[in-house]
Amino acid sequence: MIPDLSQMGEGETQEWAPVDEAPHIMLDHVTKTYGSVNGLNDVSLAIKGGVTGILGQNGAGKSTLFKLIVGRLQPSSGNVHLFGTNPFKNPAPYSRIGYVSESEHLYDWMTGLDFVATLARLYGYTRDEAKERAMHVIDFVGLADVANKEIGKYSKGMRQRVKIAHALVNEPDLIILDEPLAGCDPLARTTIMNVVRELGAMGKTVLVSSHILSEIERITEQIIILHNGRLLALGNLHAIRELLDKHPHRILLRTDEPRKLGTAFLPHNDVYGVRFPQDHELVVETNNLSSVHQALPGICTESGVRVTGIENPDDNLESLLGYLIEGRA
Amino acid sequence: MIPDEEPNQPVVDSPELQPSALPPVPQTFEQQVQAAADAQEARQQAPPEQLQQGGPATVAGAAVAQLQRVQATAAQAFRPLTNTVWSKLDRKATAVAEFTLRQYRTKNSTWVVLGIGVVFVAIVLMFYGEAMATGFESVDNDGDSEDWDGDGYPTGQERKYDTNPWDGDSHPDPNIIPPDSPEKWIDEDDIDWDGDYKNWNQGHDDDGDCTGDGWIDPDSFELPRNQDRNGDNVDCNVHYHMNSTTNTVYRINSDPNVDEDPDDEAFLKESLHRAFVLGFGKIGFGFLIGIFVPLFLATGLVRDEMENGTLHYIMGKPIARAEILAYRLLGYIAMVWPYSTVLILLTGIVTGFLAPSESVFRFHDMSAWLGVLLASWLVMLAYGTIFCTLGVMSPKFGLWLAIGLGVWEFSMAMMSLAAPNFPLTWLSISHWGIEIINCTSVLAYPDQSYMINMASQISWGSEIALAGFYSPPSVVSGSPFISLLISIFVLLTITIGALFVGQSSLKRKELN
Repeated sequence: MIPDLSQMGEGETQEWAPVDEAPHIMLDHVTKTYGSVNGLNDVSLAIKGGVTGILGQNGAGKSTLFKLIVGRLQPSSGNVHLFGTNPFKNPAPYSRIGYVSESEHLYDWMTGLDFVATLARLYGYTRDEAKERAMHVIDFVGLADVANKEIGKYSKGMRQRVKIAHALVNEPDLIILDEPLAGCDPLARTTIMNVVRELGAMGKTVLVSSHILSEIERITEQIIILHNGRLLALGNLHAIRELLDKHPHRILLRTDEPRKLGTAFLPHNDVYGVRFPQDHELVVETNNLSSVHQALPGICTESGVRVTGIENPDDNLESLLGYLIEGRA
Repeated sequence: MIPDEEPNQPVVDSPELQPSALPPVPQTFEQQVQAAADAQEARQQAPPEQLQQGGPATVAGAAVAQLQRVQATAAQAFRPLTNTVWSKLDRKATAVAEFTLRQYRTKNSTWVVLGIGVVFVAIVLMFYGEAMATGFESVDNDGDSEDWDGDGYPTGQERKYDTNPWDGDSHPDPNIIPPDSPEKWIDEDDIDWDGDYKNWNQGHDDDGDCTGDGWIDPDSFELPRNQDRNGDNVDCNVHYHMNSTTNTVYRINSDPNVDEDPDDEAFLKESLHRAFVLGFGKIGFGFLIGIFVPLFLATGLVRDEMENGTLHYIMGKPIARAEILAYRLLGYIAMVWPYSTVLILLTGIVTGFLAPSESVFRFHDMSAWLGVLLASWLVMLAYGTIFCTLGVMSPKFGLWLAIGLGVWEFSMAMMSLAAPNFPLTWLSISHWGIEIINCTSVLAYPDQSYMINMASQISWGSEIALAGFYSPPSVVSGSPFISLLISIFVLLTITIGALFVGQSSLKRKELN
């Protein structure tokens, strides 16, 4: 069941009123160091509305960024604003956010429904309200069947989803998901992606982090790339993609007749080489990935060769980062 | 570019997830209020000329609107309690406390710690029961139950009838006065104290071996020459030396052969019983259970959540960090207070049946046990808050700091028993817990000092036990009630101070 997310925007305490014009999240030259290690280095950004993907390798500062936003950490320098207030000092804006941490730890002895309902009561809901809301969000993330099962018996995907459910129970304006797809099976992945897209469609501000480019690509186009604690790129993924497409690229095809297929590819304008790294494998080298991808089905059909797999070895975050860093330098 | 394998349907498309499938929301009070308010608003927004138009329908509409406005105002005035700021705080507090309790329930360590406490109390009660069931052999303090000359008459009886206790042929005529059984001369002169602290002149020579009452020859050389050995100008009495400010007996001087042979068994059992109430109350409940239960159950209250990385589930909610600490402690209290209450009341009931008493149950002790209960509650609260705070301040070394504090508290508890007036002990929680029990025990047993002084004249063992566990209130001498209030105040101040430190430490903590 989809929670009625239109009835929201009221702070739980009367004293604090959200500033509607203000960006939901604003970081002003934020640096966070752990001892001598830089977690985040002079990051400034403002986010309001839409689904934003935070891309970065492990240790790039994604979780640090989120922890600063939700007030788990204090910046070493600079200011963090959450709905116009300092989240470390003031817990009032927490009533408008939902945060899913990267932490694997949950209260394994609780049932999913219990977990969500108990934490919902911390928003000031009554026991009954909390239970009703918990049931709604658990249904929303597709866990209704196992709502009364102990979390300890949940699969990894279910655990992620119950964490997401707990973050939605207060009908938040801002949802922060730290690696929600990590370790999930394809079915859970699809469900979670649908949930995130749906939240975006409802007009929520969603932040979702991942270290896998294709995952983010399937959720959103608006991305932020972090690298070694620095803000490397920010904007539409398509724009970045287009830059990337002009770069030398490889397409790996698995087939029983690589040579025959390779011959079929050579006449294409954008293909500048083919290689056969192993038996039953063909690598097509190109400077224009999208053009070759468009022509690919036709070439395969015409040649009559059976293709069992297609991979883009360069289509990952590492290549993207490599290109961006290179391009910068 | 990348094939989109998953069905790209938004979840909302499936019919069962349509908002229309939501269960119909019942007409709540708030909604009714809202409806009334809306009606009022509509009325205000309506063009004024419309209202000025005559006609019965408009008048009726205005009357309805008027009624609705009155209803809305009334509803505003009697806003349901469920919506006030306070009730929201309550909800959060009960949610966290309830969660804490349920979390305790799932942990084995909880059951082990509480179970050890129960076993400890049960074992001590077994020893107590055995001591109470064992008969003490009554002591013949003056030896007058012995029949030294073998004529069948005990010495006391021979003296009374003026015959020679050392001569087998000298004894009363068995046809007129049959010989007494020796038991009659073991506890023949009981203690006579009326409990009046203002009356120093006490004691009564029950068997007449000072006054010569009932003796054949009132001038017998067997009677003491000096009948006023304590020099208070009253013959054959017992002089109780009282401290008039503290209402305590500090010395007892008796004339010869007065109250010299009381019922030792009753006296010993009473003394032992009181020593048990005080000793077990102070050491068992006030200290051992009072410190070990919090050590294992409170140190990790917030620390474990920080270490496990689960604290953010609670902290990521619109609830101040300071509140979280307080509510966690509330959950802890909701478990340990009933626990100690059950243990102490159970001990009170068991000892109430086993203790020396004229009726089946000894209600008299209940006030002493309530004092123990008060001490245990406050001590568990103070230790719990301190240990929880130590855990927050230093998740890594908190437990070790707590153990270090426990060692200090133990030595201070021992010192409080041995030297209650030593000022260093004031720097400990255990001292104030013990002080509470001292104060309430004086209220429960006003004759405690008398018991101790009497015991010193009768038997060594019980004197040491009772005197060792009892000391008069030392904060404000002579005023157990004020001492009690001060002790409660000190323990609560320590608790609040520790809570404040813990809260400000948690406020500054970063949660990695």
